Amino acid sequence: MSMIELHDIRKTYTRPTGETVNAVAGVSLAIERGEFVAITGTSGSGKSTLMNILGLLDRPTVGRYTFDGDNVATLGVREQARFRNARVGFVFQAFHLLPRTSALENVELPLLYSDRKSVDGLGRKALEAVGLGDRMQHTPSELSGGQQQRVAIARALVNEPDLLLADEPTGNLDARSADEVMTILGDLNRSGRTIVLVTHDAAMAAHAQRVVRIENGVLA
Amino acid sequence: MNGRLVRHSFRSMRRYKLRSAFIMLGSFVGAAALTLVVATGQAAERKVLTTVEQLFGASSIVVMAGGTQLLSGARGNAARLTLDDLEAVSDALPRIEAWDPQQALPNASVRAEGATATARILGASERSEQVWNRGVARGAYFDAPDVARSARVALIGETVAHELFADADPLGAELLIGNVPFRVVGVLERFGTDLHGMDRDDEIVIPISTMMRRVLNVDTIAAAKILVRDPSDVATTAKDVERVLRERHALAAGRPNDFAIISATGVQKMVDKTQRTLALYLPLAAAIVLLVAAIVAATLMLASVNERVSEIGLRRAVGARVEDVQLQFVVETAATMLLGALAGIVAGCILAQLAANRLHLGDVLSWRAALVVLAVSAITGVLAGVVPARRAARLDPATALR
Repeated sequence: MSMIELHDIRKTYTRPTGETVNAVAGVSLAIERGEFVAITGTSGSGKSTLMNILGLLDRPTVGRYTFDGDNVATLGVREQARFRNARVGFVFQAFHLLPRTSALENVELPLLYSDRKSVDGLGRKALEAVGLGDRMQHTPSELSGGQQQRVAIARALVNEPDLLLADEPTGNLDARSADEVMTILGDLNRSGRTIVLVTHDAAMAAHAQRVVRIENGVLA
Repeated sequence: MNGRLVRHSFRSMRRYKLRSAFIMLGSFVGAAALTLVVATGQAAERKVLTTVEQLFGASSIVVMAGGTQLLSGARGNAARLTLDDLEAVSDALPRIEAWDPQQALPNASVRAEGATATARILGASERSEQVWNRGVARGAYFDAPDVARSARVALIGETVAHELFADADPLGAELLIGNVPFRVVGVLERFGTDLHGMDRDDEIVIPISTMMRRVLNVDTIAAAKILVRDPSDVATTAKDVERVLRERHALAAGRPNDFAIISATGVQKMVDKTQRTLALYLPLAAAIVLLVAAIVAATLMLASVNERVSEIGLRRAVGARVEDVQLQFVVETAATMLLGALAGIVAGCILAQLAANRLHLGDVLSWRAALVVLAVSAITGVLAGVVPARRAARLDPATALR
């Protein structure tokens, strides 16, 4: 049994005009624990929808999604929130850091919604893991783009999730910062973290062990 | 309740300083106005009650010359109230325990040994001590023979004593009211200021007969206070007084009184009515200010929600439940309003005390007023947060992050 098993996942949207769009049109995919998978595709190919479904930010219209053997596609809204909090870490292209808020407080954000009794030191540990132990009190505007994305990675890791989902994490970065971020993802994967990277950039996808290509909502 | 999340939401005030400042300004003004009104209202009510008590007591009736003067203007010569009128009333009605006539001269200049002062001169009978419940601190009250022979004796208040005689003993000294010389026989008990803020120690009391003949040269009195033996008889006695006076003034049925009768119960009713009106409308007006502040807060917070769509999406992505997002925005709104309100309560208390000092209302600080305003602010704050919180909670996380 794989950690993640998607079976014939479909996602259909209805446009305001009444026209239906099959963003994901029957995807089956298995991801093993410890894998580093890249999902590539052009914009509009359905890769972001697929990532949202993997992270339980979105629900498939049809299909089965099991995570460690549990059917998670049918979880209630509260259970989905708990699942995202405890088992998934998200990294986004736009970082989504809170402005005028210290790096440490940004990293600790998921802990606000955690069931953990004690959260002491977790934020600090996560920031040190991405090499920003000396930037804890800096606000996002005082950090470079690469540093901001590392803060976002620390935030994704602070709750020790099973799965790290990165959606175009280097899209807003210069080449050097992009390399730094990919190096960190590679190191994380080598230390056992399961990573799914969504990107349109073949050079970034090359960092992954396996590349899955999606076109018009189906795997190519 | 999630303590970590609540503390985190409190800190958002610092992240959005301008927004927080505007919300605080609104609740500051609202809470200050409400505190001011509630605190001074309470103090004014206390002051009115004690003054009515001081002036009237439960068992008195005041007769004033001139009928419904306040509404229809002075009646000039038609308004005659004489000592004989009151003698007749007193003889006819055995329920009356005592009565005291009054004539007053508001701003008389008085002199003594080179010093001058301005004082209110009151003409009264020797029964004034009993009827008005104010005696002398030093010396002795003038007596019935003094009144009978229009003696030139005076009782002076502490303010007058200080102005005319400084630290010297005024007893036995001479003073001039206009050009009429008087001998000081007593110093009145301290009274302080009355409801109108008038210094009642800036007074000189002389026999009514002396006042009428030697000072004012009139044969009428301005008013009289009547004490009734049993407080429960005040209402009926007031009617009897009215009947006797109408007979003596030969007023035909249907013609209005050419005098006015005020009793403690009547004054109490009037005061109660005024108080009720004030107690209702002033706080209502102040509460509307707070309501407007809440609407402003809700609008600013809605704008904040619209500006922070991706933040809300992110929070949902990292595990915030719908109710966590709601709680955050309610706490942000309520905490900001409450902080402004706390400052407003302090400012309101200070303003109330300043106003009270000018109006001689005494101490106005009241925990009850502060707690009421705090509770009202907290409730409006939470209500103001509900709409933005619901808007925030309705956002779909995947859409919000796009």
